[in-house]
Amino acid sequence: MSEARAAQERAAAVAGSQPPLSRGDNPLARAIGRLPARVHTKLLVAFVGTAVLVVAVGVLGLRVLGQSNDRVARLGALQERALAYGKLKSAAFNVRLLLAETVGQDVPVRVTPPSGRTRSAFDQAVVDFLARIRPATLVDELGFDPPPEDEAVLRRIRAKSGRLSTVMGKIVESDNRGASARDQVPLRQRAELLAVDLNQLAAILANATTAKTEDLIAQNASSYASSRNLFIGVAAGAIVLALLLGFVLSWSLIGPIQRIDSRLAAIASGDFSGRVDVTNRDELGALAANANRMNDELRRLYNELEAASRHKSEFLANMSHELRTPLNAIIGFSQVLRERMFGEVNEKQAEYLDDIISSGNHLLSLINDVLDLSKVEAGQVELEVAPFSLREALERGVVMVRERATQDGVRVALAADPDIDVVEGDERRIRQVIFNLVSNAVKFTPAGGAVDVSAVQMNGEVRVAVTDTGPGIDPEDQERIFEEFQQTEAGVEQREGTGLGLALSKRLVELHGGRIWVESELGKGSKFTFALPAGSR
Amino acid sequence: MAASRVLIVEDNGKNMKLFRDVLQATGYETLEATTGRQAIELAAGHAPDLVLMDIRLPDIDGMEALSLLRADERTASIPVLALTAQAMDGDRERLLGAGFDGYISKPVNVVEFLGVVRQHCEGWRR
Repeated sequence: MSEARAAQERAAAVAGSQPPLSRGDNPLARAIGRLPARVHTKLLVAFVGTAVLVVAVGVLGLRVLGQSNDRVARLGALQERALAYGKLKSAAFNVRLLLAETVGQDVPVRVTPPSGRTRSAFDQAVVDFLARIRPATLVDELGFDPPPEDEAVLRRIRAKSGRLSTVMGKIVESDNRGASARDQVPLRQRAELLAVDLNQLAAILANATTAKTEDLIAQNASSYASSRNLFIGVAAGAIVLALLLGFVLSWSLIGPIQRIDSRLAAIASGDFSGRVDVTNRDELGALAANANRMNDELRRLYNELEAASRHKSEFLANMSHELRTPLNAIIGFSQVLRERMFGEVNEKQAEYLDDIISSGNHLLSLINDVLDLSKVEAGQVELEVAPFSLREALERGVVMVRERATQDGVRVALAADPDIDVVEGDERRIRQVIFNLVSNAVKFTPAGGAVDVSAVQMNGEVRVAVTDTGPGIDPEDQERIFEEFQQTEAGVEQREGTGLGLALSKRLVELHGGRIWVESELGKGSKFTFALPAGSR
Repeated sequence: MAASRVLIVEDNGKNMKLFRDVLQATGYETLEATTGRQAIELAAGHAPDLVLMDIRLPDIDGMEALSLLRADERTASIPVLALTAQAMDGDRERLLGAGFDGYISKPVNVVEFLGVVRQHCEGWRR
């Protein structure tokens, strides 16, 4: 029973040294555990939840991408407008430059006319540039829809360029007439003024559009940045949420499993005192409830067994006591008579008294052996293992039988290896085995025979052998004699043994983790050997 | 020299007869008690030289009787031997550990029994 108690203490020590299940005790995990749903459902919800988060992140990404596309398209349109207005501006600028050259007045840039070009060639170039301006102001010709404020400016450009065309028409006509430059000065001054206006209007238009483009680019950059940040934020949030969901759900499962596991480990080592604390309302809750029921049932059975075992011990103790009490009177009174304390007894009476005394002693050893054996069978024999001198135990065993051996004319010799001395074991039990084997040997050896006791150390075990020159044992009987109440014919004739000595010796040796066997041949004596693991016990 | 006086505490009549007759035949005076309480009374009143104490007794057991004897200064120094059929593993150690001065298991060997009694009575006288 003390083994079970030791196991309980071990289990308690293990439970005490275990780290607290902090993550499993997380209140969130516990709350998830308390949800009245099956594990299957909880896992499904968790996976669907995670999937929804992934989809949400995807949708947001697509939206951000769409916005970015829109902005690129708007920027494209604006750039197209800027390009068209740029051409307009450059044509107007050329017109102004050319006119400034031909007028010869102060102009911002001096363009040197290629040599040999006539005034009329300049004028013709102006007319050509003017021809390009007009279509560039028509909404239909532009290829895009200009905003209303642009349309107003475009109309004014068209009007100015129309008036400039009229003036240029007159100049070209006077060129053709061969009019002098001086005559043309008033016309050219008017043309010059118109060209300045035209140039200004075109520049306003182009510059405004360029400014808008730059605005849009800046705006795009900032809204891209904010979209990106939103996306990263939502994605990170989704990851954190999914991890949290997984963490909480898995700990709502792992926590109970760990608690059930540690309880089962405790039960396995014989501790039935605890209960599993699992609040889950799912399969794990049911498992914990079953573990608790199993625990209670095992505890009940264990207590019953313990009580039964205790009853058996008490029964054996009572039986021993009750049998010894009348034996005391039987043997005692016989001895009193045999010792002639109250007068003479005749020879026959003395012989009968000896018979009563030896039968009484036989009965006593039978009682002792039966009780010993039942205790071994009931697992109630606890070996008191300690180092002891095997040599001394052997010497004592030999001394105990020497008187009987001398009476019977049997020589007893002990030969132990010099290195045989201290072994580990229950000294009293080993002595019991040695005495049993040696006294058996003396009992069965006829006068003039010899009993040799030897001890050797080999193959990691200590072997004690008792060899006699007795009648030997039939091979058929060699197994049987280690069983209870099984004796050889010679043993039955002897009427001395209980038939329990070898059975008990076998149990005791086996309790030490050792073994016992016999080698014998009819008519040539027997050799009983027992081996104990050296140092292991 | 007066004969040694031995108090026998034994609830079994036949065993009582055996111990009493053997002791008387060997020259001891005997006192007989069949219960623990009776033993304490007799020990206090008659100052025996030795007490032979059975362990299983009808009222208080031998261990309790021993501690009562030891608690009373009139009887505290009387040697007390356990004389019992409790002879399982550990009984001898248990009883000697409880303070008995000796241990004799039943069934007794009459010769050895007398030897032990004599030894304790002489020890007491010395």
